[in-house]
Amino acid sequence: MSEMKNNLVGTIEPAPMTLEQVREKLKNVRGKRYWRSVDELANTPEFQAAVEKEFPGSPHGWGDEVSRRGFLKFMGASAALAGLAGCTKQPDEPIYPYIKAPEDLILGKPMYFATAHPFVTGAVPLLVKTDQFRPIKIDGNPEHPYNQGSSDPFTQATLLDLYDPDRSQHVTYRGENREWAEFAVEFRNKVISTKDGTGIYFLSETITSPTLARQWKAVQAKYPMATLVQYDPAIAGTALSNGLNVQYDLAEADVILSLDADFLSGAGFPGFHQLVRQYAERRKSPEKLNRLYAIESTPTTTGLKAEHRLGLRASEIPAFAAELAKAVGVEGIEAPSYVWTDEQKKFLAALARDLKAHAGKSVVIPGLYQDASVDALALVINTALDSIGKTVNVRNGLITQSSQIRDFKGLLTDLNAGKVDWLVILNANPFYNAPADLNFAAAFEKAKITAHLGSHMDETGQNAQWHIPAAHFLESWSDARAYDGTVSIVQPMIDPLYGGKTAHHFFQALLDEPGLSPYDAVRETWKLVIKGDFETGWRKTLHQGWVEGTADLSDITFSALQPGVSWPAPAPSPKDSLEIIFRPDPNIYDGRWSNVGWLQELPKPVTNLSWDNAALISGATLTKYGLEEDDIVELTVNGRKVNAPVIVVPGHPDNSVTVHLGYGRSFAGRVGSGAGFNAYLIRTSDAPFYAVGSMKKVEGKWGLAVTKSHFQDHRPKLFGGQGNGNNSLEADEAISERGIIRYATLDEYKADPGFANEGETHSTTDKSNTLFPNWEYKDNAWGMSIDMNSCVGCNACIIGCYAENNIPVVGKQQVRIGRNMQWLRIDTYFEGDLAAPRAHFQPMACQHCENAPCEQVCPVGATVHTPEGLNAMVYNRCVGTRYCSNNCPYKVRRFNFLLYSDFETESLKLMRNPDVTVRSRGVMEKCSYCLQRISAAKIEADKENRAIRDGEVVTACQQACPAQAISFGNINDKQSKVAKLQADERSYQVLADLNTRPRTKYVAAVVNLNPELQAGPVEHPAKS
Amino acid sequence: MAQIFDRSSNALARASLVLTGLIVIALGVTLNELQRSPWVTRQGQRPDQPVPFSHKHHVQGLGVQCQYCHVTAETSSYAGIPPTKTCINCHAQIWTNAQLLEPVRQSWATGQSLPWIKVHDLPDYVYFSHEIHVNKGIGCASCHGRVDQMPLMYAQNTLQMEWCLDCHRNPAKNLRPTSEIYNMAWEAPASDRPVWCAVGDEQSGLPTAQSVNCVTREPGVEVASLGMPASGVLPQAKYEKFTSQDELGHFLVDHYKIRTPNELASCEVCHR
Repeated sequence: MSEMKNNLVGTIEPAPMTLEQVREKLKNVRGKRYWRSVDELANTPEFQAAVEKEFPGSPHGWGDEVSRRGFLKFMGASAALAGLAGCTKQPDEPIYPYIKAPEDLILGKPMYFATAHPFVTGAVPLLVKTDQFRPIKIDGNPEHPYNQGSSDPFTQATLLDLYDPDRSQHVTYRGENREWAEFAVEFRNKVISTKDGTGIYFLSETITSPTLARQWKAVQAKYPMATLVQYDPAIAGTALSNGLNVQYDLAEADVILSLDADFLSGAGFPGFHQLVRQYAERRKSPEKLNRLYAIESTPTTTGLKAEHRLGLRASEIPAFAAELAKAVGVEGIEAPSYVWTDEQKKFLAALARDLKAHAGKSVVIPGLYQDASVDALALVINTALDSIGKTVNVRNGLITQSSQIRDFKGLLTDLNAGKVDWLVILNANPFYNAPADLNFAAAFEKAKITAHLGSHMDETGQNAQWHIPAAHFLESWSDARAYDGTVSIVQPMIDPLYGGKTAHHFFQALLDEPGLSPYDAVRETWKLVIKGDFETGWRKTLHQGWVEGTADLSDITFSALQPGVSWPAPAPSPKDSLEIIFRPDPNIYDGRWSNVGWLQELPKPVTNLSWDNAALISGATLTKYGLEEDDIVELTVNGRKVNAPVIVVPGHPDNSVTVHLGYGRSFAGRVGSGAGFNAYLIRTSDAPFYAVGSMKKVEGKWGLAVTKSHFQDHRPKLFGGQGNGNNSLEADEAISERGIIRYATLDEYKADPGFANEGETHSTTDKSNTLFPNWEYKDNAWGMSIDMNSCVGCNACIIGCYAENNIPVVGKQQVRIGRNMQWLRIDTYFEGDLAAPRAHFQPMACQHCENAPCEQVCPVGATVHTPEGLNAMVYNRCVGTRYCSNNCPYKVRRFNFLLYSDFETESLKLMRNPDVTVRSRGVMEKCSYCLQRISAAKIEADKENRAIRDGEVVTACQQACPAQAISFGNINDKQSKVAKLQADERSYQVLADLNTRPRTKYVAAVVNLNPELQAGPVEHPAKS
Repeated sequence: MAQIFDRSSNALARASLVLTGLIVIALGVTLNELQRSPWVTRQGQRPDQPVPFSHKHHVQGLGVQCQYCHVTAETSSYAGIPPTKTCINCHAQIWTNAQLLEPVRQSWATGQSLPWIKVHDLPDYVYFSHEIHVNKGIGCASCHGRVDQMPLMYAQNTLQMEWCLDCHRNPAKNLRPTSEIYNMAWEAPASDRPVWCAVGDEQSGLPTAQSVNCVTREPGVEVASLGMPASGVLPQAKYEKFTSQDELGHFLVDHYKIRTPNELASCEVCHR
């Protein structure tokens, strides 16, 4: 069916363009010139055609041609029945009261419980909102010192993972339903019969729970021959699975260098929440700006936020790091000989000088997915720069000291040798994600009995004899450590929906008290640590969300890595070879969240790609291979092949391809199965992060869904548009003086602090210049301020908005025709050279204009102005003319073309926010400034006869933001944070010249460039 | 060719035109009436409940207070339907063998909820909050009617939007002192039924009821039956006498800080 729709409905094809065209376009353009997609830059006829319509293809989105007569017939019937629709009688609604009401429960009021999201790079402490004991919103624990209330897209989206209707629901043995007890007894008896555990193997995801580790130790003590192998495809081979525990403190860092470390884009990087907060804190005021350098092999938000970015191929980075170590004065470093370009040399010299000048106040962060030498070199450089103990701390090992890849290979050897009687797989999916060279599937056949604990009947579950449904972390007791070492108790919010079990049950089944619940096991672990009366201490621990005193980590000495000890950096691969870089996906990570629709639909940072992964390459490489965007290529590594679509990413190093892991799954569920291509097929155990391979074009087009050229404005000239159909915000930026992105260098800012409003031709508050009566805001006037300098484009806000506002997922085909429903989007504006761009991230949601163009055109009064200045949607009035969206210059309104909300699936009903309407077909919707939260605060304040306090209303996006880039409040209260920010001279409004008087203001960015590198971006000669 | 239509057809044609017009009008009127009729609104209907619970018996007869069962009326949007436990509190002792109470005992024994039918059922797109109404001087009876006189529960009012707006546009006509919220028999003040109200120190952060005090007996005047002056927590001089709902209503609007009709009738107050 989707195939058919695809043919009938016009789609936004990434327009074919050639590099020559792009270069021509960029020629003679220096300074501030912004673009959102390469197509736009080229401005090809195809691109123009794509943006001509607001919702491309949508007006002709009928399933089939309707004749005039048929149309009149339908319309006649609709008109006749229109009035009757209002007369429907509500059905009888039953009420099922409790038998005994829980004592603390007030129906209608949410309750909050502390827990933690145990993630492989460190637990995220949480405060979960529950409604009648159903978790309905996940947010960071505001009192926790590590994340201070912030979260990330993964953590936010685990809510949908809990309610995923495709989770496995039964214990099965060879496809037949069984009971857990049957498995447990058989398993226990078998292990007891081995006496010492010979032939018993566990393959687990990385164990992060102290209690699980303790239970495993007990199992090992009893059965010394039992073997545990941990394998996480995104972690194996990194410093996280086998390395020192080095932590970074950016609060005092003036200069930060990322050596392929993507610490700003998501929780995949350990310490993300803390690092972003500290980084962003220093960006809030121009007086204490830090400076970020990024050297990276694939464009990430970290690199695009950096003041200075150098794109290098992945294999060049260790050599570059060695050169850098030499340049900052580390003795005895051998750097592989390599020919660096002048630009690279200049960058290196300037960087080294800057680092040395800020010794003790600088940080070098090595990438997780780099060669081990980069870790070592970064530590050596940090030592040489006197940063240890200041901005860099080497902590006692928290990290599993085992090489996952080596252990996994060992398991394969034992499997092939027939030594494995029982293979118990705990929350791992090796059938899908094991290194391709190890041939796991064949070895698996040799295990006598296999069991799989997993949340889904995934690739591994399909093949294992036993399958046991896993409990979600919101359904089970456990514990986990955050980045800073603090232990949080993972406490369940809800009974297991499908009777799931955890790894705790498996290990406990082998111990003396096989029936001991995970709850008791976790309590037993912490009995020794919690001081004073245990019950009191335990309750306090659960209440606050962490175990007191566990963050105290003493630093260790690291004699093995004293300066001078070199770690040989491998030589870069030849310049003309093609490198293939493997990274976990920014949205679905290693594939574990394949079936989470929110994450699948979320446009990825930088590429704005949704529902797919792609081979990311540079424009020059595209030309070199004679490709066009969306072409399919065959990627080959050591004879292993996979087909992938191609997409150009500005700033990608040449002769290098980035592929994201996690896609191409066959048993993910209704959402994830079949999306993208499986990059694990070409990933081998000896080159897990980058490998040399080849690429060749194959027939066909893939059909990617890229949201970049969506939401264009197409007003005619008369009304401020260009009249050519290509009047996107970014086209405004590039061509006119509107200045959607405004920023200055630190020097420019010092010379002219009011730069952001300089040259503003229209007064922003001209109340006389409108045909419509002005509103007066006597009491509250809600406003938002977004700090462009802090926003790192991580997308946490968008997923937070999904959960809070019951936003539906529409599917790939609908995204392709521009119908994605996110109320909030992050516009990425690239600037400068195609090969070395800078980027600006601008969260864009309804601006709640005081003089709103949408309100003036609604024929049925469905979008109305409230006395507090909100621009409210009345869904019941909306008849779907879409005039409002047409007239919105910001393109932030979303229309339910089809019945996108799922009204049928039972498990999803439990997840919905009861305070927000689930919208049906034919209704317009958009950001409401979290009206339900405002209403709740208003009722609370009115009850107490007081004004709403500043900070009492927190929007979902604001709450999720790890960079604290969003502020919200009452702008009539001049003491409020948001009023002060809006009064800042760096604050500006987008498209203020239209006299819309938006309530959202943006604080213009100030960047702290290194004067040595300040000259405009270098035009790269096309490499051939 | 002979004429198909006789001359009399003209009259028929004219009559049918008029008739068509009348039918259209009649249809409109009917639909309009139907929309507001109890058939659609269920106003006054008594649905079959698992137990024929009598509010009249429990409230008027036994004097059970509203909040004994509807515990969260003051603290939450939802007033609360009592759990079976609340019934059993008494009915474990009295009427333990009554046939009518069999479903209650069943529920208690089996742990299955009593499936009541909602009598006051707002559409799902309306976000109504009991707590703000109860805390700002709207009595239970203002919306639910004289529940104490209803042997079987029914909706006294339509709960349609026009009915809500009627009050949101002029809340003064329904406001009463918060001390009288649960008084089923409360009647608007009149010259023979005055109300005295006084305002104490208005403190931010305290509920409305704590700064405004209203009494129905004149403060300071000795009541024969009590042998002492009628209650009045605030100094006697501060009390103001009200003899009409209009006066009292506007006084309460001011001191309960009821939002303006413009704000109260704004769409986003009830719809999100």
